[in-house]
Amino acid sequence: MRDKSSRRDFVKQSAKIVAGAVILPNIIPASVLGKGGSTPPSDRIVIGAIGVGSQGMSNMRDFLELKNAVRFVAVCDVDTLHLEKAKQLADEANKSKDCRTYGDYREFLEKEKLDAVSIALPDHWHGIIYTAAANKKLHVYGEKPICRTIHDGKTIVNAVKKNNIIWQTGSWQRSQSHFHHGAELAINGRIGKIKYIEVGLPDGGKGIGTPPVKEVPAGLNWEMWLGPALKVPYRGVAHWDWRWILDYSGGQLTDWAGHHIDIANWGAGLEHTGPVEITGAGVYPIEGIFNAPVEYDFLCKYANGIEMRVANAARQPHGMGTTWYGELGWIHVDRGNRISASDQKILDEEIGENEIQLYKSDNHWQNFVDCVHSGKQAIAPVEVAYRAISVALLGEIAMTTGETIKWDPDKEEIIGNPMASRLLSRPYRQPWTLPTV
Amino acid sequence: MKKQYYLLIITLGLLTFFSACKNESGYKTLIITGQNNHEWKTSSPILKQILDETGLFSSEIAITPEKGGDMKNFDPDFSRYRLVVLDYNGDPWSDKTNKAFVEYVKNGGGVVIYHAADNSFPGWKEYNDMTGLGGWGDRNEKSGPYVYYKNDELVVDTAAGPGGTHGKRREFIVRTRIADHPVMKGLPARWLHGTDELYSLLRGPAINMQILATAFSDTAAGGGTMRDEPMLMAITYEKGRIFHTAMGHADEGGGPAMQCAGFIVTLQRGAEWAVTGDVTQPVPFDFPSAAGAVLRPDFKEISLDEAFSKLGNYDIAKSTKYFTCLKYHITKSAGDAGKLLDLEKRMVKVLTDKESTTEAKKLLLRELSWMGSDYSVNAIKELKSNPDLKDEAEYALARMQQVK
Repeated sequence: MRDKSSRRDFVKQSAKIVAGAVILPNIIPASVLGKGGSTPPSDRIVIGAIGVGSQGMSNMRDFLELKNAVRFVAVCDVDTLHLEKAKQLADEANKSKDCRTYGDYREFLEKEKLDAVSIALPDHWHGIIYTAAANKKLHVYGEKPICRTIHDGKTIVNAVKKNNIIWQTGSWQRSQSHFHHGAELAINGRIGKIKYIEVGLPDGGKGIGTPPVKEVPAGLNWEMWLGPALKVPYRGVAHWDWRWILDYSGGQLTDWAGHHIDIANWGAGLEHTGPVEITGAGVYPIEGIFNAPVEYDFLCKYANGIEMRVANAARQPHGMGTTWYGELGWIHVDRGNRISASDQKILDEEIGENEIQLYKSDNHWQNFVDCVHSGKQAIAPVEVAYRAISVALLGEIAMTTGETIKWDPDKEEIIGNPMASRLLSRPYRQPWTLPTV
Repeated sequence: MKKQYYLLIITLGLLTFFSACKNESGYKTLIITGQNNHEWKTSSPILKQILDETGLFSSEIAITPEKGGDMKNFDPDFSRYRLVVLDYNGDPWSDKTNKAFVEYVKNGGGVVIYHAADNSFPGWKEYNDMTGLGGWGDRNEKSGPYVYYKNDELVVDTAAGPGGTHGKRREFIVRTRIADHPVMKGLPARWLHGTDELYSLLRGPAINMQILATAFSDTAAGGGTMRDEPMLMAITYEKGRIFHTAMGHADEGGGPAMQCAGFIVTLQRGAEWAVTGDVTQPVPFDFPSAAGAVLRPDFKEISLDEAFSKLGNYDIAKSTKYFTCLKYHITKSAGDAGKLLDLEKRMVKVLTDKESTTEAKKLLLRELSWMGSDYSVNAIKELKSNPDLKDEAEYALARMQQVK
């Protein structure tokens, strides 16, 4: 760990060799592929974390559970309470006291020599920091939804592609076997041609009204927390609850798009395209600072005739989860290992060798580690994540404007609606700008 | 007491008088009250106001004799009305009146059963067929099954036991069960109702009855059944339609149960459905959601004019509802450039008013950032010199210039 750059280069080089040589099992230790055993320290990925609140810490723990797969050497957060906990977690795993802490991601990216970074931030920060990390040629494990606006999303996708990094989105449902099975059955026509998809995401909860302006807690850099978002006084809402405020998130809709919309796209072969028409309505809180929709219901039409209805669970026949409806039946998948179908026989079907084999991963974090080593694309790559969240963001625009939105999924533009088009991006507050790719 | 046996048209001061005039062309409605274990003197005038407010109804209040009085003279001519609203829980009416009421419904008359009216007349078969479910009044398994939802499945439960109970008053979530019924169309799937009695263990014939909405009767909240209990019901009786709301317990001034915009709007919609079988009323901006109960202390929806008159004093700590109202009207004006420009002009007026709060201007700038036209640009540019509004003004201009 004295000379990170050399190991980092080693990892990158070995990745290239492996990718070219197709002799992966001979080079990569079994443990790296999640089969137990120990990894030589030199093969461990040197990783840092930006954003170590609840989800960031959860990801750190998931990486550390892989046993010797990664070494967290630096953590970054705008709250010193988060930093302390994250450093403690890293130091315990490293059996040292060397994990470095940063309050500013720019300094973190400038000083640290890393292979990869795990990023879990409020959505309004994703555009800047994902792009900056990609520009530093770091492999990224990044939380969904990958962007707060379509424009940010496009920039991130470009940055990842141009810098040729490994990207894994935190859409971990892809690495669970029943979601994989359901999607694979759907895409292989086991329910016939897919006509309609139902996506149920969580219902919104109770608001908190407008709490009084409070003193910013010691240790929280509020100005940095806000970053590119418009300045507002601190009212006791920052960590976690940012997701109910439109400046930082789109509520449950955008929070969960990277799960059940992502799975829907996977099973319907829509993960590299988008809808052509979106129409719907939201239910918004009347009072208080939480202003994200508590209910949402919109219909997306695709060029190939498929229709996808995205709504909060209470509005959907199957509640939470993804349901593909084909000419011959339906398949429903949800968390908690739930998978069901119009006919149980559909679920017992096996996929033949000559059929579409969807990417298989049993552990989302291991898959990222493996791909960093192998140079192979991860199971939840950046463009796919962008296509999942763009469905939700277009739904949000349809609900905000009250208009039927026409979308060109190839040019990634709204057709013939300047007002709605303005909602595809957001100006950043000075001095913040989206990095150029 | 005999002298009090009359059909009374209450004119509650000038306000009601005017609204009565305004609504002359509305569906003639009779609200029957006079006996109740609830504060009918509070609730009935409020029901009248709620209905007449829509412009669809023209209501009168009929007061029956007091308890123990002679019902012979309570003999309304139901055929004069399109809608009869029952805010009544008391002595049986005369056979003649009962027959006339049944005839009225059979012939297509509309009925609204409000709260404790479903306690009334436990021995009158036809009435119970109309309410679908009832409670108290010694109702038991002979009255019909309990009907409720459990784990999202409709349950018709013939178990023995009493009908009707409610736990401690509380706010509770009302959950839509038939989203495409005219009464429910366009309403949120879940909304928080103002503090009310949560009627539970209702039982009755439940014939030709649809449960439109339920509420979970949670034991943890103080007395509950752990069932999703029916709150709104639609019943048909021959040609007649009956809308039954179990909600709306009246406290002083109506209280949160009657002031709840969800109670008010479902009553208005249910009443229209009972008369015509359809609902033409738009869902108002302040219909509550799971985010929180919304009360209308004066039982009226906030108009856009009122919202604009209050927007300039915007204080986020006090209320955000006027701004929510504006956003609703912006969305509703989708695709109508003229309407949007009208709104924009009014927004710019607030924006350029020296008396308007900084908070109001900030919020208006955010909206104008996407829906503003050239009309707003100069007004927004002016605000760039104001240090408190510089960021928002630049935000709005940057977005507007990006796509003309």
